Amino acid sequence: MALIEVESMVKRFGGLMAVNDVSFVIDTREIVSMIGPNGAGKTTAFNCVTGLYPMTSGAVRFDGHIITGQPPHRITRLGIARTFQNIRLFSFMTALDNVMVGAHWWMSARVWDSVVKSPRARADEKRVEARARDLLEQLGLTRYAGSYARELPYGLQRRLEIARALATQPRVLLLDEPAAGLNPQEKKELMALISRLRDEGLTIFLIEHDMRVVMEISDRIVVLDHGVKITEGKPAEVRSNPQVIEAYLGQGAAERMVDA
Amino acid sequence: MPSLGLGRLLTRERVDPTARRPRGAGTSTFWIFSIGSATLLFMGWLLPWFVRPTSSGIGYSPMDVVSSAPTGIGTFLVYLLGIGMLVMVLSPFAELFYRARKRAVPERLDQVRVLIAVFGLVSTVVVFLLTRVIQEEQLFGPIDAFTITDSAVWLTMVGYILAATAYGLRGWVIRRPTTAFAALALPVGILLPLMFHQAPVFILWAAGSLGIYTLLALGLNVVVGFAGLLDLGYAAFFAIGAYTCGSLASPKHSIHLPLWVLIFLGAAVASMFGAVLGAPTLRLRGDYLAIVTLGFGEIIPDLATNNIGKLTGGPDGISSIDQPIVHLPFATINFGINKEWYYWSVLLVVIVVIVLLRNLEHSRVGRAWVALREDEVAAAATGINTTSTKLLAFAIGASVSGLAGAFYGSIVTIVSPDDFSFSVSVSILSIIVLGGIGNITGVIVGSFVLTFVIFWMLQYLNEWSATLGQTINVPSLGNIDYSQYTYMIYGVALILMMLLRPGGLIPSRARQIELTSGGEEESLAAVQGIA
Repeated sequence: MALIEVESMVKRFGGLMAVNDVSFVIDTREIVSMIGPNGAGKTTAFNCVTGLYPMTSGAVRFDGHIITGQPPHRITRLGIARTFQNIRLFSFMTALDNVMVGAHWWMSARVWDSVVKSPRARADEKRVEARARDLLEQLGLTRYAGSYARELPYGLQRRLEIARALATQPRVLLLDEPAAGLNPQEKKELMALISRLRDEGLTIFLIEHDMRVVMEISDRIVVLDHGVKITEGKPAEVRSNPQVIEAYLGQGAAERMVDA
Repeated sequence: MPSLGLGRLLTRERVDPTARRPRGAGTSTFWIFSIGSATLLFMGWLLPWFVRPTSSGIGYSPMDVVSSAPTGIGTFLVYLLGIGMLVMVLSPFAELFYRARKRAVPERLDQVRVLIAVFGLVSTVVVFLLTRVIQEEQLFGPIDAFTITDSAVWLTMVGYILAATAYGLRGWVIRRPTTAFAALALPVGILLPLMFHQAPVFILWAAGSLGIYTLLALGLNVVVGFAGLLDLGYAAFFAIGAYTCGSLASPKHSIHLPLWVLIFLGAAVASMFGAVLGAPTLRLRGDYLAIVTLGFGEIIPDLATNNIGKLTGGPDGISSIDQPIVHLPFATINFGINKEWYYWSVLLVVIVVIVLLRNLEHSRVGRAWVALREDEVAAAATGINTTSTKLLAFAIGASVSGLAGAFYGSIVTIVSPDDFSFSVSVSILSIIVLGGIGNITGVIVGSFVLTFVIFWMLQYLNEWSATLGQTINVPSLGNIDYSQYTYMIYGVALILMMLLRPGGLIPSRARQIELTSGGEEESLAAVQGIA
């Protein structure tokens, strides 16, 4: 069943066509990767889906409803959570607070409850904190609950960002280059995590440059180049697609590889 | 999911954020000690000496004690106390000395100080018994409820007790700084109007400057400190609160509402304006936002000057604002005459506001504000409605300011556009920057220091200088007119402050770390390509 449907997405920055008429579908509980050379428009497409950029034209459907034009926070509340390529944690909040911010929108305490610290606010706070701690534990971050996000080692910051996204109770998780800057061991752990999240019912859509990661975990791969979708398919199909090789290595290389 | 094999990675990590700072002579101890000693010096020796009491009696200033030179065990103990005090006050320098030479502070220094602290506490009690119970000698002059807060010796002892207690409990003070601060600040705050011989000007300062500016700074701290929205026109909301009070409790429109109603009304009206100002600035951030708020801060006093709708009384403002008269079964309190009641009312409101703001700070709302401050884009992508969160910060900040405005109108009985100029906004901002942005304790300390400097010290500098000149035989000190240098002194103080302690007097933990490396910010609107 299609959870996210992107229909002829176009995003133009002045004269630059960052995303040009791209359409694809992501099914429930699928792991879909988007790859492409630098500047292919992957992150722009991400930003359009999550509402950070208004699209020039086209539509995004989530669970059958059009979400185009909705503000980012509403899209998150519908169930699309994301992480960022250049980690965007709340640096001067503790890891625990970072995760609790993710729970902000579904907390039940009203402003007045918070002001007077009413029983409802206390109960709410307690419940969410327990949940956040649980999430931190699941991601192996318990030890860092009280430290500022920026004090965490890089690999754990990426992890914390995922924890924060998970706290929003998403149905789809969008990961923008989650393996960037991780060492091989951390990459292995990341892949295990992603598979596990999918097993627990989440749909995963990720941008990634590391081909080993992409090929190993993806159910399907969407390839962008210069804002255009050049192909889409299972890892094995994409790997041998001459257009993909050309986009990555240049035309000559593609010909040589086909010859060989 | 501990099965991810992360354990190996974690155990290698050298940082253990859960580890407590070891008890003993650390940086925090050093600061507690320096601040404690400064308090001691300030309370016991400088205050009574600077403001030479009019009804000069024995023991009012250190000079009197020395010159009257009584003999007896009490006096001897007081001298010993003086020496102990000197050791306490100078010992931070010893610590600095060791630190400069990169050597560990010897354990003995710590022990000596504990001994002195204990000795001081014991001898203070003994001196008290000797003079009050046994009446060994009239060392301290006549003692009644008020002289305790005026006499140099008694103040010294109170300071000693505070410093020694703080030092004795330093482990606790370091762990729970907020509670410790409250325990120290509350008695001082309640007793404040009793100082300086209950001089009316002093009480007026305590209520009208210290109390009001503390409220204002607390409110602005919500906007600037928590939510990170730079507001340069904050005095506008102060004006709105004050004019609300002026309009509804004066002969101007023949309406006379009680003050307790007005503070809520002032807060409500100001918060409405806060939301109104907030709405058009939602897309702005940093410098741009600051300029828009600056404009708003200029417009409001101008509207008042132009007597808009014949409501504000033009440049003269509104005068003869009511002052409450409370009839109790046993007494009648006229706030206009017994101004300390204003102070205590404001103090009560300050305490309530602090409690409520602290609740907010540690709630989902406070987290959303900080998230907004740290990274607006990420906050939006995490499900926070940035629009309503910003508006809420503006509205709550403004409501505290409106509350302060209503009190202010009632205290000074006249509001005019001049009271709400740009310099007021700047002073409030200076208070929170100086005290420590985003830290409520810092903001309180900042408002005490800055209102004391601007509205008290600078007013009386001429007098103090003359007194000093007489004491040390340099009469020319009495000829300097410091009022010419008011803003220079103020400016130099700010510059020094920012150079020496850029995070403010009591920096928030975040600020402390941030200063070691810069952060970047980016507005959601800029990312979206709208603004």
